[in-house]
Amino acid sequence: MHLRLKQLIWIAAICATPLALQAQQFSVDGHSFQVHGYVSQGFVDTGSGGNNWLTMNTSDGSLAMTEGAVNISTQITDKFRVGAQVYDRDFGQLGKWHPQLDWAVADYRFTSWFGVRAGKVKTTFGLYNDVQDMNFLATPALLPQSIYPTDLRDGMLAHLGGDVYGKVSPKHLGTFSYTGFVGERRDGLYGGYIYLEQGSGIDFTSFGGLQYGGDLRWYTPLKGLLVGYSGMNQHILGTGTFSQFPPGVVFTQQSTKNQTNQFYAQYAVGKFRVDSEYRHYVYNVNLGNPQILWVFYDTTVPGWYLAGAYRVAKRLELGSYYSRMWAGYTTDYPGDVQPSTVSSPDRHCYDKVATARVDLNRYWNVKVEGHFMDGYGNTEVYPGGFYPQQNPQGLKPKTNALVIRTGFNF
Amino acid sequence: MKLLRFFLLATALAVFGSLEARAGDIKVIANPSVGASTVSADDLKGVFLQEKSSLSDGSHVAPVLLKGGAAHEAFVKQYLGKTDDALQTYYRSLVFTGKGSMPKMLGSDAEMVAYVAKTKGAIGYVSAGASVEGVKTLEVN
Repeated sequence: MHLRLKQLIWIAAICATPLALQAQQFSVDGHSFQVHGYVSQGFVDTGSGGNNWLTMNTSDGSLAMTEGAVNISTQITDKFRVGAQVYDRDFGQLGKWHPQLDWAVADYRFTSWFGVRAGKVKTTFGLYNDVQDMNFLATPALLPQSIYPTDLRDGMLAHLGGDVYGKVSPKHLGTFSYTGFVGERRDGLYGGYIYLEQGSGIDFTSFGGLQYGGDLRWYTPLKGLLVGYSGMNQHILGTGTFSQFPPGVVFTQQSTKNQTNQFYAQYAVGKFRVDSEYRHYVYNVNLGNPQILWVFYDTTVPGWYLAGAYRVAKRLELGSYYSRMWAGYTTDYPGDVQPSTVSSPDRHCYDKVATARVDLNRYWNVKVEGHFMDGYGNTEVYPGGFYPQQNPQGLKPKTNALVIRTGFNF
Repeated sequence: MKLLRFFLLATALAVFGSLEARAGDIKVIANPSVGASTVSADDLKGVFLQEKSSLSDGSHVAPVLLKGGAAHEAFVKQYLGKTDDALQTYYRSLVFTGKGSMPKMLGSDAEMVAYVAKTKGAIGYVSAGASVEGVKTLEVN
């Protein structure tokens, strides 16, 4: 469908959403079904002559930041529920209006301390992984990209498989909530890493593999304090072809180690909330074509952020965060030399952010946000939201960005 | 350093602000089909946060909330440990990840009592002075 027509449809959906607010629940054969959804539209400007960010042409100001989802669910019995959600987005070169099944779950809770889910399940990981697309749930227009990179969301978002989960509350020790998961990761072909590799002359046709891990969080006896840990291992295989030198030759990427460890804490009291997370990501891959060139990359990407938010008034919340990520690698690829220090702009991305969120009503919000970024990540192995294809003149060391985002949910 | 001062000031504002929000008197009510006459604070929290669908005596229950007002604010703060904004965010996170549903929400004490009275398993709350004809009051321990 023509791009402009799709955008017009989304804008019409945004305008019509308030009318849909009433159509949320209906019954069929005595079962009550709920329907919910959201749409959001954003604008990003990094200033004339600035870097282009998140695959959008932001140096000219970009409206190519649209997303939405709709879900339906029902409680079959008091312990058993089913539901599904479809999601679509257009973020510059990402998504490109290819709708995805976001999740489709059958969930049976035996007791409060043991339940199971199966299907395509959103992955519980850290504070915001499973809800990172639902911008109306967060204070900022963009979550800290050091931990929740919107261009690389495919790698962590959901798995085809199952979870076990539950909560236990030992006396005087607060509550422990656990989730264990295993399944298959299947990246869409319109994500950031796929796009990055296209710029290197590689067209992936599939990317994914086994994913397993868990999350344990402790709602401590100190009211409002939550601490937790999430860990994941993955065995990823990507297959595709070279688009150049020579075209059509098979390309393979196989991970030998792909581990993520994440620690997090949140303190929420009254109208005030503080979040912090630290992630350590390590992935080792062999890639290329064994008959032509087969190389090894060992990549490490630590990152963290500290965020705060305060609801100043019924309809106004202010927030701020500081986000840091840095990436380094070693490789046996002939002639590949990376900068030696993390202080180099192509080894890190540091971001200072200030946000104002206005809730016009319970269903409609507007956010205005400023980003002050130092560095642009490592465009060889782990971009910090900056892609060579959008920046053919080279990347500048600093980027300032204005992000305005509005969204409806029902 | 400036960032640290901002967070310290905001924390102080939040703490002093929350001291003024005193929990008003509220009554927890349930449909007469609910067998229990008392409910633990833990069970109440578990039900309203959709972690449990039955009380300790095995009674199946479904939570019903008020949309706003003093009784709602007091209940949410006292028994769920959240602000209304945080609670709405919590429910929406369940809805949009497939892990729960949006509970029924009603506009007044009278609507709450009427709904709980006619709905098997419903459990809700009203202000202390509200008429509770047709429902049972649960003591929270």
